[in-house]
Amino acid sequence: MKKEKIIDKYNEVFTKSFKIKKDKLKNLKYDSIPQWDSIGHMSMIGRLEEVFKISLEMDDIIDFSSYEFGKKILKKYKIKL
Amino acid sequence: MIDYVTKVIPGKIANGYKNFTNNEWFFPIHFPGHPNVPGALQLEALAQMLTVAITTLPGYKGKITHAISHTVRFKREILPGERLEIETKVLSWKRGLCKGLGKGIVAGEVACEAEMIITIPEILEKYTPKR
Repeated sequence: MKKEKIIDKYNEVFTKSFKIKKDKLKNLKYDSIPQWDSIGHMSMIGRLEEVFKISLEMDDIIDFSSYEFGKKILKKYKIKL
Repeated sequence: MIDYVTKVIPGKIANGYKNFTNNEWFFPIHFPGHPNVPGALQLEALAQMLTVAITTLPGYKGKITHAISHTVRFKREILPGERLEIETKVLSWKRGLCKGLGKGIVAGEVACEAEMIITIPEILEKYTPKR
Protein backbone atom coordinates (compact mmCIF):
# COMPACT_ATOMS: atom_id res chain seq x y z
CA MET A 1 0.00 0.00 0.00
CA LYS A 2 1.37 3.46 -0.90
CA LYS A 3 2.49 5.61 2.02
CA GLU A 4 0.02 8.39 1.13
CA LYS A 5 -2.85 5.94 1.19
CA ILE A 6 -1.74 4.48 4.52
CA ILE A 7 -1.70 7.86 6.23
CA ASP A 8 -5.07 8.71 4.70
CA LYS A 9 -6.53 5.51 6.12
CA TYR A 10 -4.94 6.22 9.49
CA ASN A 11 -6.37 9.73 9.55
CA GLU A 12 -9.78 8.47 8.53
CA VAL A 13 -9.84 6.14 11.55
CA PHE A 14 -9.72 9.19 13.78
CA THR A 15 -11.93 11.54 11.77
CA LYS A 16 -14.64 8.90 11.47
CA SER A 17 -14.35 7.52 15.01
CA PHE A 18 -14.46 10.93 16.65
CA LYS A 19 -16.33 12.90 13.97
CA ILE A 20 -13.63 15.57 13.77
CA LYS A 21 -11.84 17.31 10.93
CA LYS A 22 -8.39 16.38 9.75
CA ASP A 23 -6.89 19.65 10.97
CA LYS A 24 -7.63 18.60 14.57
CA LEU A 25 -5.49 15.47 14.42
CA LYS A 26 -1.96 16.68 15.05
CA ASN A 27 -2.23 17.32 18.81
CA LEU A 28 -5.05 14.90 19.43
CA LYS A 29 -4.72 12.90 22.65
CA TYR A 30 -6.85 10.60 24.75
CA ASP A 31 -9.30 12.65 26.78
CA SER A 32 -8.42 15.89 24.94
CA ILE A 33 -11.86 15.86 23.32
CA PRO A 34 -15.13 14.49 24.75
CA GLN A 35 -15.38 11.92 21.96
CA TRP A 36 -12.05 10.29 22.90
CA ASP A 37 -13.16 8.79 26.18
CA SER A 38 -12.85 5.12 27.12
CA ILE A 39 -15.71 4.14 24.83
CA GLY A 40 -14.40 6.27 21.98
CA HIS A 41 -11.00 4.70 22.53
CA MET A 42 -12.37 1.19 22.07
CA SER A 43 -14.30 2.21 18.98
CA MET A 44 -11.21 3.81 17.48
CA ILE A 45 -9.04 0.81 18.27
CA GLY A 46 -11.63 -1.53 16.76
CA ARG A 47 -11.79 0.53 13.60
CA LEU A 48 -7.99 0.67 13.40
CA GLU A 49 -7.75 -3.11 13.65
CA GLU A 50 -10.40 -3.55 10.98
CA VAL A 51 -8.83 -1.09 8.55
CA PHE A 52 -5.28 -2.39 8.90
CA LYS A 53 -6.22 -6.01 9.56
CA ILE A 54 -4.22 -6.24 12.78
CA SER A 55 -4.91 -7.28 16.34
CA LEU A 56 -3.35 -4.96 18.87
CA GLU A 57 -1.84 -6.29 22.05
CA MET A 58 -3.29 -5.11 25.34
CA ASP A 59 -0.25 -3.02 26.27
CA ASP A 60 -0.37 -1.27 22.91
CA ILE A 61 -4.06 -0.49 23.33
CA ILE A 62 -3.29 1.09 26.72
CA ASP A 63 -0.26 2.98 25.38
CA PHE A 64 -2.13 4.31 22.33
CA SER A 65 -2.71 7.67 23.98
CA SER A 66 -2.36 10.07 21.06
CA TYR A 67 -2.64 10.36 17.31
CA GLU A 68 1.14 10.86 17.00
CA PHE A 69 2.15 8.12 19.41
CA GLY A 70 -0.17 5.76 17.62
CA LYS A 71 2.02 6.00 14.54
CA LYS A 72 4.95 4.63 16.57
CA ILE A 73 2.84 1.78 17.87
CA LEU A 74 1.73 0.79 14.38
CA LYS A 75 5.37 0.45 13.26
CA LYS A 76 5.48 -2.60 15.52
CA TYR A 77 2.77 -4.08 13.30
CA LYS A 78 4.74 -3.24 10.17
CA ILE A 79 2.57 -0.28 9.29
CA LYS A 80 4.81 2.64 8.40
CA LEU A 81 3.30 6.08 8.66
CA MET B 1 -37.27 -5.56 34.72
CA ILE B 2 -37.03 -9.26 34.03
CA ASP B 3 -39.18 -11.97 35.58
CA TYR B 4 -37.64 -15.02 33.98
CA VAL B 5 -34.82 -16.03 31.68
CA THR B 6 -35.91 -18.90 29.47
CA LYS B 7 -32.87 -19.43 27.28
CA VAL B 8 -29.24 -18.39 27.40
CA ILE B 9 -26.29 -19.16 25.21
CA PRO B 10 -23.54 -17.25 27.05
CA GLY B 11 -21.92 -14.65 24.86
CA LYS B 12 -24.56 -15.08 22.18
CA ILE B 13 -28.22 -14.79 23.18
CA ALA B 14 -30.52 -14.41 26.16
CA ASN B 15 -34.30 -14.68 26.04
CA GLY B 16 -37.00 -14.43 28.66
CA TYR B 17 -40.02 -12.44 29.69
CA LYS B 18 -41.50 -9.82 31.94
CA ASN B 19 -45.14 -9.94 33.06
CA PHE B 20 -46.80 -6.58 33.60
CA THR B 21 -49.50 -7.05 36.20
CA ASN B 22 -52.39 -4.71 36.86
CA ASN B 23 -50.64 -3.57 40.03
CA GLU B 24 -47.41 -2.12 38.66
CA TRP B 25 -46.49 1.12 40.46
CA PHE B 26 -46.31 3.15 37.28
CA PHE B 27 -49.69 2.34 35.74
CA PRO B 28 -51.74 4.78 37.84
CA ILE B 29 -49.53 7.65 36.74
CA HIS B 30 -48.55 6.49 33.23
CA PHE B 31 -51.21 7.42 32.47
CA PRO B 32 -54.43 7.97 34.44
CA GLY B 33 -57.21 6.38 32.43
CA HIS B 34 -54.77 4.93 29.88
CA PRO B 35 -52.15 2.86 31.65
CA ASN B 36 -49.25 1.56 29.57
CA VAL B 37 -45.64 0.58 30.21
CA PRO B 38 -43.19 3.51 30.01
CA GLY B 39 -40.75 3.25 27.16
CA ALA B 40 -37.79 3.71 29.48
CA LEU B 41 -38.77 0.57 31.37
CA GLN B 42 -39.26 -1.42 28.18
CA LEU B 43 -35.73 -0.44 27.15
CA GLU B 44 -34.44 -1.36 30.59
CA ALA B 45 -35.94 -4.83 30.19
CA LEU B 46 -34.13 -5.31 26.87
CA ALA B 47 -30.85 -4.00 28.26
CA GLN B 48 -31.02 -6.18 31.36
CA MET B 49 -31.61 -9.27 29.23
CA LEU B 50 -28.59 -8.42 27.08
CA THR B 51 -26.46 -8.19 30.21
CA VAL B 52 -27.55 -11.73 31.07
CA ALA B 53 -26.04 -12.92 27.79
CA ILE B 54 -22.69 -11.47 28.88
CA THR B 55 -22.64 -12.05 32.62
CA THR B 56 -23.33 -15.75 32.11
CA LEU B 57 -19.93 -16.08 30.44
CA PRO B 58 -17.28 -17.76 32.61
CA GLY B 59 -15.78 -15.35 35.11
CA TYR B 60 -18.36 -12.60 34.67
CA LYS B 61 -21.05 -13.63 37.12
CA GLY B 62 -22.07 -10.70 39.30
CA LYS B 63 -20.01 -8.13 37.38
CA ILE B 64 -21.38 -4.60 37.31
CA THR B 65 -22.57 -3.53 33.87
CA HIS B 66 -23.19 -0.04 32.54
CA ALA B 67 -25.34 1.14 29.69
CA ILE B 68 -23.42 3.24 27.17
CA SER B 69 -25.68 3.99 24.24
CA HIS B 70 -29.06 2.70 23.12
CA THR B 71 -31.15 3.41 20.05
CA VAL B 72 -34.71 2.26 20.58
CA ARG B 73 -37.95 2.21 18.66
CA PHE B 74 -41.35 1.72 20.24
CA LYS B 75 -43.98 0.18 18.04
CA ARG B 76 -46.86 -0.86 20.23
CA GLU B 77 -48.17 0.02 23.64
CA ILE B 78 -47.83 -2.57 26.39
CA LEU B 79 -50.89 -2.73 28.59
CA PRO B 80 -51.61 -4.05 32.09
CA GLY B 81 -51.87 -7.82 32.11
CA GLU B 82 -49.63 -8.33 29.08
CA ARG B 83 -46.37 -10.29 28.88
CA LEU B 84 -43.30 -8.88 27.21
CA GLU B 85 -41.28 -11.63 25.54
CA ILE B 86 -37.68 -10.48 25.37
CA GLU B 87 -35.11 -11.68 22.85
CA THR B 88 -31.56 -10.38 22.80
CA LYS B 89 -28.54 -11.16 20.69
CA VAL B 90 -24.88 -10.27 21.14
CA LEU B 91 -23.35 -8.82 17.98
CA SER B 92 -19.89 -8.36 19.45
CA TRP B 93 -18.20 -8.76 22.81
CA LYS B 94 -14.64 -7.55 23.03
CA ARG B 95 -12.50 -5.88 25.66
CA GLY B 96 -15.40 -5.19 27.96
CA LEU B 97 -17.71 -3.70 25.35
CA CYS B 98 -20.84 -5.44 24.12
CA LYS B 99 -22.90 -4.43 21.12
CA GLY B 100 -26.23 -6.15 20.83
CA LEU B 101 -29.81 -6.17 19.66
CA GLY B 102 -32.97 -6.55 21.67
CA LYS B 103 -36.56 -7.15 20.72
CA GLY B 104 -39.68 -7.07 22.87
CA ILE B 105 -42.72 -8.96 21.65
CA VAL B 106 -46.28 -8.82 22.97
CA ALA B 107 -48.98 -11.14 21.69
CA GLY B 108 -46.89 -11.95 18.65
CA GLU B 109 -46.24 -8.32 17.74
CA VAL B 110 -42.99 -6.42 18.10
CA ALA B 111 -43.55 -3.82 20.80
CA CYS B 112 -40.04 -2.44 20.98
CA GLU B 113 -36.61 -3.04 19.58
CA ALA B 114 -33.20 -1.61 20.31
CA GLU B 115 -29.57 -1.50 19.33
CA MET B 116 -27.57 -1.37 22.53
CA ILE B 117 -24.03 -0.91 23.75
CA ILE B 118 -23.24 -2.02 27.29
CA THR B 119 -19.98 -2.42 29.12
CA ILE B 120 -18.36 -4.09 32.08
CA PRO B 121 -16.33 -1.08 33.28
CA GLU B 122 -13.94 -3.23 35.28
CA ILE B 123 -12.75 -4.83 32.02
CA LEU B 124 -12.98 -1.79 29.75
CA GLU B 125 -10.84 0.28 32.10
CA LYS B 126 -7.95 -2.17 31.74
CA TYR B 127 -7.62 -1.20 28.09
CA THR B 128 -7.81 2.56 28.35
CA PRO B 129 -4.79 4.87 28.42
CA LYS B 130 -3.84 6.15 31.84
CA ARG B 131 -4.23 9.89 32.27
